Amino acid sequence: MNIKKLFLPQIPFFLGIPALVWQVLFVYVPLVFILVLSVQSGTFESFRAFFTAEYGLVLVRSLFLGLSTATICLILAYPVAYWIALCAGRWKNFLLFLLFIPFWTNFLLHIYAWMFIMDRNGVINTVLQWLGLIQEPLHLLHTTASVFVVMVYCYTPFMIWPIYSALEKFDVRLHEASSDLGATWWQTLWHIVIPLSLPGIRSGFFLVLVPAFGEFVIPELIGGDKVMFAGGVVSYYTLHAKTSSFGAAFTIITSCVLCLVLCLIYLLSRRFMRHVTHGKV
Amino acid sequence: MKSVELRGVTKRLHGEVILENINLVIPSGKFFALLGPSGCGKTTLLRLIGGFELVNEGQIFIGDRDITHLPSNQRSVNTVFQNYALFPHLSVFDNIAYSLNVRNVDKSVVRKRVGKIAEAFSIDRHLYKEIGQLSGGQQQRVAIARAVINEPDVLLLDEPLAALDSKLRERLLVELSDVQEMLQTTFVYVTHDPFEALTVADQVAIMNNDGDIEQMGTPREIYEFPVSSFAARFVGTTNILKGTFGVREAGFGVDVPDVCFFLVDQAGALVPNAREGLQAFVSIRPEKITISRRLLEGVGAPKLTGRVANKVYYGHSTMYQVQVNDGIALRVFEQNEEHVRQEEIDYDDQVYLYWLDKNVVVLER
Repeated sequence: MNIKKLFLPQIPFFLGIPALVWQVLFVYVPLVFILVLSVQSGTFESFRAFFTAEYGLVLVRSLFLGLSTATICLILAYPVAYWIALCAGRWKNFLLFLLFIPFWTNFLLHIYAWMFIMDRNGVINTVLQWLGLIQEPLHLLHTTASVFVVMVYCYTPFMIWPIYSALEKFDVRLHEASSDLGATWWQTLWHIVIPLSLPGIRSGFFLVLVPAFGEFVIPELIGGDKVMFAGGVVSYYTLHAKTSSFGAAFTIITSCVLCLVLCLIYLLSRRFMRHVTHGKV
Repeated sequence: MKSVELRGVTKRLHGEVILENINLVIPSGKFFALLGPSGCGKTTLLRLIGGFELVNEGQIFIGDRDITHLPSNQRSVNTVFQNYALFPHLSVFDNIAYSLNVRNVDKSVVRKRVGKIAEAFSIDRHLYKEIGQLSGGQQQRVAIARAVINEPDVLLLDEPLAALDSKLRERLLVELSDVQEMLQTTFVYVTHDPFEALTVADQVAIMNNDGDIEQMGTPREIYEFPVSSFAARFVGTTNILKGTFGVREAGFGVDVPDVCFFLVDQAGALVPNAREGLQAFVSIRPEKITISRRLLEGVGAPKLTGRVANKVYYGHSTMYQVQVNDGIALRVFEQNEEHVRQEEIDYDDQVYLYWLDKNVVVLER
């Protein structure tokens, strides 16, 4: 009896143990491992190596890729999420199901599919030539534009989901109340709908920005490995060159930069919220 | 302050007819209540006036302006929603200021007007609170202040008290009619609660389950002279008896077999096509009947005798169910005027029932 009394309230804790162990083993231990690895020579030499203009440029370039991918995804995803959450009616579940499908195929397969589409002898060029619109095949693959197309393609679903779940909880009567008080559709969107879905926008933005910042497969395969990105540098030093302490050091540097950027975005979004809620556009 | 007029309005939703050929004039500057059972279409009617739904047929006028095809943000009509629909991310101040802010009114003007209206609604102490920090009554005041700050011609109220407990509801009803008096705006108040409609409204329209307007009039007219058994039953309690029109020595009236002959006062509202032998319904309210164990003097002969089958004590009054024959029982209210009653009426007592002929109402259907 006493044992039962002692044990029962602790059940949630015991059920939580596997997840806890998992997190410690695969997040915190590797983190410590990386930290140790980066200073294994006993000096900060491996860090110092990266404080050059070239690596600064790599970070800026990666940030630019991540931020612009996240921004384009947001612009594309918001109307879709809005429409599915508030207008789709009985089609809602079917559309959500369609959103799931991309997750069923391997990420690399998506990229290879795009390579076939944009290749010199790919689908787009074949069709355009067949239609007689172009004589020479277009140079599509290995351009900045192609990298963005595939990045946005791969990451948009990650943006739609959190925005959708934020808008799903939106009370439609607030829309009516706003219109009733004289607001136009755009004013309602700006003053009511966007501020109330801001948590969803924020998590979607982070969900895209973080992996897009570290992305190295798409720039390598689609972009033709012409320029280095942060993810590429990390993978190069850790996998190829057997200089893992440099890889670890650069991982720590990029993580710190990313954390700073995320904090900055968070503060900006709060300022935006204050701006929208207190006063006019 | 303008009137609202609906001409031949029909509304279908998902192929189902909600409202059919509604003709209704809501007088300007009055507190108008639209009373009906839940699901009868009264909220749809309100949404048509507010512009949240568009009519399939017919026209809607505010004053003499046709607003049938105007979107809701261009109608000079504001709404107090059920559960208020206050913006949860805005402070009380910004909620009230919303309609001014979207019209780009100057900031200093906004501050002045919000301050003024907040004072009038005694919510000036809460202006910088979050919506979630307010009580139900305060939220309602914010919702009304937000809706009237732009001085609309018509204010629509969609069951604004449904979510509150009965004590608070009674207090807010009084407050609402004060607000209407102060603003002189046309109020259209939708409710399923006859008590709310009778206490606040100047004019009441009763809507039946088919979405038709059953009767319109002042609360007193509705209560004292219902035209149909639906209206009589929906507003208050009553006794409805079925009989046929007939003429006796005493005059014209309704003969209810095995009960009695209800003499109908000619001055009262009478069914226009009443003919002898035609089916008719009469209604007499429980409080209009006097009940006694002894024969009373000076009021004529008792109308009926019966046996007390049931008795419910309400405090201020007592309700008796008096069996007048095998099938029919009449409900009788008696005001409890004394602490200790001189004449205690109990189960199975033989009682005499009295009423005045003018208090009997003939119903159209």
